[in-house]
This record gives sequence, structure tokens and C-alpha cells, in this order.
Amino acid sequence: MLDFLQAVSDGVLFGTTYALIGIGFTLVFGVMHKLNLAYAATSIGGAYAGLLIFQVWAGAPAWAVFFCAFLGGGVLGWVVYVTCFHFIPLSNPLAPLMATVGMLLLIDEVIVHATAGMPQNYPAMFDDVMLRAGEFTLRGDLLLVGGVSVLCMIVLLALLYRTRLGLATRAVSQQPVAAQLCGIRVGQVNAMTFVITGLLGGIAGALIGASVGALSPLLTAPLTVKGLIVTVIGGLGSIPGAILAGLLVGGFENLFQLYRGVTERDLYVMLLLFAFLVFRPGGLLGPKGGHD
Amino acid sequence: MLELRGVSRHFGGVKAVERLDLNVAEGEIFGLIGPNGSGKSTTVNVIAGLFEASGGQILFKGRNLDGLPTHRRLQLGIARTFQNIRLFGQLTVWQNLWVAQNAPEDRARRGFLSRWLGGRGGARAEMAGLLEFSGLAHKRDELAANLAFGEQRRLELARALAAKPKLLLLDEPAAGMNSEEIGQLRDRILKLRAQGMTVLLIEHVMELVMGVTDRIAVLNFGQKIAEGTPREIQNDPGVRKAYLGGA
Amino acid sequence: MDFYYGLAQTVGVHTLLGLSAYIVLLTGQVTLAQAGFFAIGAYTAGMLTVLAGWHLVPAIGAGALTGAATACAVGFPALRVKGLMLVVATLAFGEGVRLFFFNFDYQVAKGEIKVGPVGGEGFRQIRFFQENGWTTGEVMLFIWAFVILVMAALWWFDRSRYGAVLRAVGEDEVAAQSVGVNLTAVKVSAMTVGGAVAGIGGALYAHYTTHIEHANFNVLLATFAIAYPIVGGLSNVFGTLAAVIFVQAFLIEGLRDLGDWRNLLFGALIVLAMNLRPQGLFGGRRA
Repeated sequence: MLDFLQAVSDGVLFGTTYALIGIGFTLVFGVMHKLNLAYAATSIGGAYAGLLIFQVWAGAPAWAVFFCAFLGGGVLGWVVYVTCFHFIPLSNPLAPLMATVGMLLLIDEVIVHATAGMPQNYPAMFDDVMLRAGEFTLRGDLLLVGGVSVLCMIVLLALLYRTRLGLATRAVSQQPVAAQLCGIRVGQVNAMTFVITGLLGGIAGALIGASVGALSPLLTAPLTVKGLIVTVIGGLGSIPGAILAGLLVGGFENLFQLYRGVTERDLYVMLLLFAFLVFRPGGLLGPKGGHD
Repeated sequence: MLELRGVSRHFGGVKAVERLDLNVAEGEIFGLIGPNGSGKSTTVNVIAGLFEASGGQILFKGRNLDGLPTHRRLQLGIARTFQNIRLFGQLTVWQNLWVAQNAPEDRARRGFLSRWLGGRGGARAEMAGLLEFSGLAHKRDELAANLAFGEQRRLELARALAAKPKLLLLDEPAAGMNSEEIGQLRDRILKLRAQGMTVLLIEHVMELVMGVTDRIAVLNFGQKIAEGTPREIQNDPGVRKAYLGGA
Repeated sequence: MDFYYGLAQTVGVHTLLGLSAYIVLLTGQVTLAQAGFFAIGAYTAGMLTVLAGWHLVPAIGAGALTGAATACAVGFPALRVKGLMLVVATLAFGEGVRLFFFNFDYQVAKGEIKVGPVGGEGFRQIRFFQENGWTTGEVMLFIWAFVILVMAALWWFDRSRYGAVLRAVGEDEVAAQSVGVNLTAVKVSAMTVGGAVAGIGGALYAHYTTHIEHANFNVLLATFAIAYPIVGGLSNVFGTLAAVIFVQAFLIEGLRDLGDWRNLLFGALIVLAMNLRPQGLFGGRRA
């Protein structure tokens, strides 16, 4: 029982990072009705960018690295926007998708080159802090991960629902042509969406690096898959859905690992996805029949 | 031929079509008119099977269509055109017709055996005839997306005819046409009727409706408010009110 | 010379992979599952020749069949999942197949040694060609015989009514069903054919590389599979072939001097290609 609780709590806390990735995918989908397959790569890329601060400030504290990752993610997000969505006519269904695949490969390779393929250590905060309740532990660094993620979600939701930019974003997602006719610069809104999700992704990447202790380009592919799974389970286009799904996947993933071991774990996560696709294609909080 | 008994279609709280009764006899050209938003297109979509009826029954040649998917209804003999043309733009004119050849006799002809026995020629000849009828023979190999607007409309109709329907649902075929084109459309519809086709015509353009239909039903807010010959409808005060809002 | 034969083998097998995605893409279904069917064909054929002593040709047939059967099974639930969600679902399926083989052990003792797939280590010693004295050139021709056959078949499909129907479904499903097209039959059949082609490709792949493992059939391969027809354009099968040649021969081998930068340039080139010519190399005009 204790193992169960421990696995669930660790998993849920880590799952908040999946939630952030899921939010990134779902937000771009919601606003532009397009999938940005490069997103997880920009997230990891941002995390790596965070490490760049050590070039200028040798003894930089962890929070500085995170901040740098935050900025790096935003920059990468903008780059992906320009290379994949700005010039390519959006009416073409496959070309932007393929372009994001290209960017995914590109970012991955740049990382491999820059680090010569060696995993990089990632600073963590509060990793020596442990809250105990008998045999049950809450890792301090995971709590921070959870806390920061929740903070990001709150800020994002505030942005979407309490600011003009957020209003414009929601308008564009519902009726791009009408939004344009109302004077909203759709291109700018789309670019901003990418920047914001990029910022979010950078933090997510940094948090993942912090909780795992190291970063490696090998993280990109599984993170992409997991992020997409979270997005679909949550319901494409639904931010609250992505949040819930992230926690769900995080928790289940750890449980699967506890009971079936690491090699079979991901297989069960896939099965979880398929179960949703069969019984509830709209996801947790999407429309029942699913989006187009 | 086509009978709607108390057919309704609701979208959440919106009653797009409410308890509609309609009876289209074989060989008739029946008009369905009404102000914008009165439920005409929804009715077509329900008959065609793209929307499920929320209530009531639709009978085609005595057979209940409930639960039949759209492509099966086509195979039974119901074809429709779209208000905003939905051609296969990346296919040629010829291919657009080819894809639509789904009438039972054509599908049988495509079976392996009959191909060996040389059944193919007949299908091609029929399509060539259809192209002639629609004035599109010279554009056979042109991409549908490259056609002029009038030509696209004619192709939309030709494609529906390629399926050899018994009942043709025309959804605002005259939209955007000039007088000459409307006249040509009128002639084409009358020729089809002479060949035994039954037509349900949804239309706004009165020039066409009054000139070609045998009977008309008028919808307003999803309900039928009048039915009769063109002359009767023209003189009906309720209809005038619906269109013009008050005397 | 052997080097060029090897390259031709790779181009051939990747063309089959690309063609398997081509036919499904025509119907508007974006599939990242082809690498999964490819893997199934590979393991099936490999196991039949190595563990059951089959001749290669029926083993390839079996690979095609298992690929087709799996694809058919996937095709039906795929109907319920629309648009971009299908991308995710097929991606997950492909990953599921990979993870399955990651955990799959089936060994049989042959004389002193054990042969067969061993989970993470993979499936070694698929030596049909070697044991039967085939030269590299002969293997290459064998592979290309299949490639040409499949290309001819798909070219013929494209010119037939079936091809027009596939594209009609890909362009406008509502219009297609309104003129009597059975969407389920079309989409599932396309998926099935794609699965068969991928199965053939996988079977051939297993035998010319002699060693396969789960990591060969990863997300990257799945994206290669759709990259070829998209970059090549969906107008005709030659686009896919051209894209494979362009990527494998020109890019990966031609830029060998640039060493490790090749993969980086590959990504950059896709991005550039999509920006400059979104309809693909051969796209935009019908064959």
C-alpha cells in the first residue's frame, strides 16, 4: 500500500511536467488547429539553453539556469513558428507538420553536436530536502517541480482569460477570419502562442532535467510521444484536460513501473492511450466524439 | 416516392426542422422554399443521411431510411448537390464523374467477371453522354478546381447524375447564376423530368422555382407554413409575411 | 561496387516504406504506423526463415500478410479517430509495436546455439542470403524486383477508378459519401494495402541487414515513412521514389564528407523543402 502511494505521489508530481508539455501541444492545436511535433524538442532544447549560463557565470545557482531555460524555450518556440508556420500556407495540411518534424530532427542534432552526445548534468533545487511521514517520502525537488508547474498553469490561464492577448488568442482559435476582420493580427497572435508555449516548454524541460538529474537528447522522442498521449487523453484543445491527463499519465506510469518494471512500463502507457481512443476519443475534457 | 412523416432535427436547443410532413410523388418537381435559416438545407442533409433525424420517419419508395448511411442511400437512388459546391478539385472532370458511378448496375458491372466479359464500354459511353448533356465534354481532362464557376455548377449536377439517381435533391443550384444560366438550368431540369427523374428543389431564386416546379412547400423556422402550386404560394399571405415580415 | 549495391538496397527498401505511407496518405489519413507494420513484416519473415526454415519468398509473403492483417485491424479503430488525433494514435501504435518487440523473446535451439529474437538485443543471424550464396548484387536485384512490382501495381491503382476514389476520399469525405463512396471500405482497404507493402519492405530489410532490433523501428523511421511521400508529392509514385533517392543517396551518402552534420542537414532540408515547395517535389499537377 505504501509503495502504491509513494509511486502515485511521485508520479503525479512528475506528471505535472507532462502536463506542461501537454498544454504546449494542446494550446498550439487549439489556436492554429495544427500539431507542432517539434514542441518537446524545443522544451529539451530550452533546458539545454539553460545550461549555457554556465558559460558566462560559472557558479550560477539553479534558479538562474531555470530562468535561462525559460528564455531559451521562448526563443526556440519563436524559431519553430517562423520556420514552420509563418511562410508555409496554412491551408496545406501536411507541409507544416512535416516541417515541424524537420525542426524536431534539427534541434535534436544540434543538441547532439553541441554536447558531443554526452548527457549533461542538470542542477536541481531542494534535492536534499525530504518531507517524511513515516515511511512515505515527498521529495523536495519533486515538490518544487509540482509547485512551479502549477504556478505556470495558473499564470497561463490568467494570461488566456484575463488579458487582451489571451482574448485575441481565444478569438483566433475560434474564428481566425473573423478575428482578422476585427483587426487582430493573426500572425502576431500565432507567433505569441508559440513563444508562450515555448517559455512554458523551457521550464518544463528544466524541471524534467532537474528531477532526473541529467539531460540527454535521447529524452526527446519519448517526451514527444508522452506529451502527445497526454494531449489526446486530455482532449485536444483543452488546457484543463491536458493538466488532468498529465497528472494521470504521470501517476499511472509510475504505477506500471512499480508493478511491471521499466521495460514494460511504456507499453502499458500506450494501452492506456488506446483505451481512451476506443472508449472516449474526445479525451477527458474534450467533446465526446473528438475533434477534427 | 419520398415521404417525410413528422421529421424533426434538433441541434441542442435549436429546432432546425420541426415535425415536417412532405410527400413528393414520382416524376414530380417539388420546390422547397423559405427565408434563410428556415431549415431547408438541414432537411436535405437529413434526407441524404448526413444528419440523423431527431424524430419522425423518412420513407423512400416505401422503405424506411432510418439508420442507413449516406452512401447506401445513394445506392438506393437518392443523390444530392451541395449549396456551396463540393467538387473534388484535384480530380479531373472525368474523374469526378467516375468516382460517382455507384449505382447498383454500375457496381455490378465492375465485378471481375463482367470486366472480362467486356462490360466497361457501356459505363464510358454513359459518362460521355453526361458530359455532353452538361456542356462539359471539352473540359473532360481539366482539373475541377480550374473550371469557371458556371462550369463547376454544371459539374456538380452532372456528378450527382452519374450516380443514376431516381430522386435528385438540388440544394440552391441557381445561387450566383445570371438569367441566361438560370434558363439553361431550368431546361436541364425539365429534360431530366422528361426522362423520369423526381426532383426536390431547394431554392431562393424565385425565377427558377416558379418556372419549373409542380408544387411548392414553404418553411419558416423549421416548420411548414404553406403548400401548394406555385400560383397558390405566390398569393399566400402567410408566405409573404414570412419573407417580407409583416404586410 | 558493393557499396553502391548496398545503397541501392537501402533505397529500395525505403521506397517500399514510403509507398506504404503514400497509399494511405492519399485517403487523407496521416499515418505514423507504417514503421510498425514494417517491423511486423521484418520479424515475421525473419522468424520463418531462421526458426522454421522457410524459403525467403513465402516468408516475404507471410510478412506481407501479417502486415496487411495488422493494418486492417488498425484501420477500423482508426476510422473513429479524426485528423491530427490519428497522427498521435498511429504514432502510439508504432511505438507499441516497438515496445512489444523490445520485450519479445522467442528462441529455438538449432544444433548448439540458440537463434531467434531476444528482447532488447534484437534478432541476430538472419542469414538466408548468406547461407544460400547470394551475392550483394543479386540481393539488390531481388529487392528491386519487388520495388518495381509494387510501384507498377500502385501506378496502375492510381490510374484506375480506385485511385480516383482514394483521392476523392482524401479531399472531401462528405462529398465522397454523398456520391455513394463507402468511406469505411476505402480507408480500411488503403490501410491494409499499405500494411502489406510495409510488410514486404520489412521482410526484405530483415534479410539484407541480417540483424534487426526494436530500435530500428522507432519514431524516426515512422517519420521517414511519411516524409518520403510528402516531400516527393502525392501526385504519383515517382515522387516518393525521387524523395527516397534524394534523401538516402544524395543527402546521407553524398554528404558523407560532412560526416556527422548529415543528420542535421536532413532536418534542415526538410524544413527548407516544405517552405519552398509545400506541395512536394512532384506535387501540384496530377499525373
